Amino acid sequence: MNRSQKHLSSIAGALRRVSVFLVFTLALSASNLVAGVLVAPTVIFLSSDSRTGRMTLQNLGDTPQEVSVFFSFGLPTSDSLGDVRVRLQDSAVTDPKACLDWVRAFPRRLIMPPNGTQVVRFVANPPRDLADGEYWARIVVKTQDATPNIPEPSGEGQITTKLNMVMQTAVMLKYRHGDVFCELELKGASATFRDQIVEVMIDANNVGNASYLGVLSCQLVDATGREVATKRTQLAVYRDMRRRVMIPIPEGEFVRPFEINLNITSKGRTDIAAEDMLYGNDIEYSAVVE
Amino acid sequence: MHKQSRTKISGILVIAIALMAFMGTSVNAQDVATGSATATLVVALTVASGAALAFGNVYQGVTKAIANTDAAAGIFNVTGLEDAVLAIYFQLPDYLATATGDDRMVISFSSTDLNIDTTAAGAPAGFVAANGWIDEDPHNVTSSADIGSGGVDLYLGGRVIPSVDQTAGAYTGDIILTVAYTGS
Repeated sequence: MNRSQKHLSSIAGALRRVSVFLVFTLALSASNLVAGVLVAPTVIFLSSDSRTGRMTLQNLGDTPQEVSVFFSFGLPTSDSLGDVRVRLQDSAVTDPKACLDWVRAFPRRLIMPPNGTQVVRFVANPPRDLADGEYWARIVVKTQDATPNIPEPSGEGQITTKLNMVMQTAVMLKYRHGDVFCELELKGASATFRDQIVEVMIDANNVGNASYLGVLSCQLVDATGREVATKRTQLAVYRDMRRRVMIPIPEGEFVRPFEINLNITSKGRTDIAAEDMLYGNDIEYSAVVE
Repeated sequence: MHKQSRTKISGILVIAIALMAFMGTSVNAQDVATGSATATLVVALTVASGAALAFGNVYQGVTKAIANTDAAAGIFNVTGLEDAVLAIYFQLPDYLATATGDDRMVISFSSTDLNIDTTAAGAPAGFVAANGWIDEDPHNVTSSADIGSGGVDLYLGGRVIPSVDQTAGAYTGDIILTVAYTGS
């Protein structure tokens, strides 16, 4: 390694340290506000080359938190209206791409002191005859006050109540084996104008053996080519996805008909490290707003 | 105080986003033809409870309701990556119970007991429909919430219905909020 490469390596190391510092600065800034636990990162990637992973938890509050970590299954799915949901399934999971039976977390239960930090490690023990592809599970981090304060009735015959606020963060775990790829097909797209809102609907299908993670960008222009509004949102397509995007029309003199320009790309995700990204195809599409 | 702290967090988030933009680009040394270094911000997702839904003292045979715009409404706060979309689920109790389990009290949530504040103002009383979604059904949150720069606040109301012969004592129950990104 020459001097320049060493210099670059030291810059990268410094930036990583700044990144970690930044996450915990954010955490500490919230510590006096609320009771909750920070979870990072938001996607865990394992593979046949690297069967272990780690996640960092931090207690943001000034009270101890009881934390449990368990696995579930739930992919983003959409309904006919284009609303996306994640339904978690804890048992009787029959999806052949589910890996929750062969991944483990350590530790699974713990008490986190105020502002405490804990690393949770994951290890995968996949079956031998695993087909190439990506396998999925949800890591659920459940947190609640370790010492809930139950109010005592102050007088004879009084009734008091206490509701415990329990929080669950469901983070995706992905295990990649062999040759993995993702390729998105746009089956259809439409845009309609109603009540000063343009409603964009896209139907997409992933024909790959891994999830397509990307960004959906919508640009709305008027008949003169002037930009009316833009909307950008993250996209994850595991199999089929019908996705609705609502774009409010701002105040202004715009000439109809409008045109919508759609761009779907797996580039530009700032929440996932480049080495973990599986880059797929890009899609561009334009249509007149009805 | 609460609002000042939120303002502080928003400011830090802005700095974080600016640094993230910087760190997401390649760092190229101009006097070297090959080699580059990149760093990616470790993005976190945080689900926190700002305040518990608080009914306080209740009386036998007298229903007590807390509106989702009441200061005593339950508050959850979710912070994460801007542009990300959340899936939100509540598991709500049907009863509160005493510690010994010898009596239960009915608790109910209507189809309009949830407000979703995408400005994360942290104040149920000041919420207006333009700042998110108003009067959502907490049993079936259909709207996927975009995370704003300060996060998303959820304001939950509800009601307890003590019977006329409700046993005196302390009653507890769990409200479970599950949050997941739909884009990862």
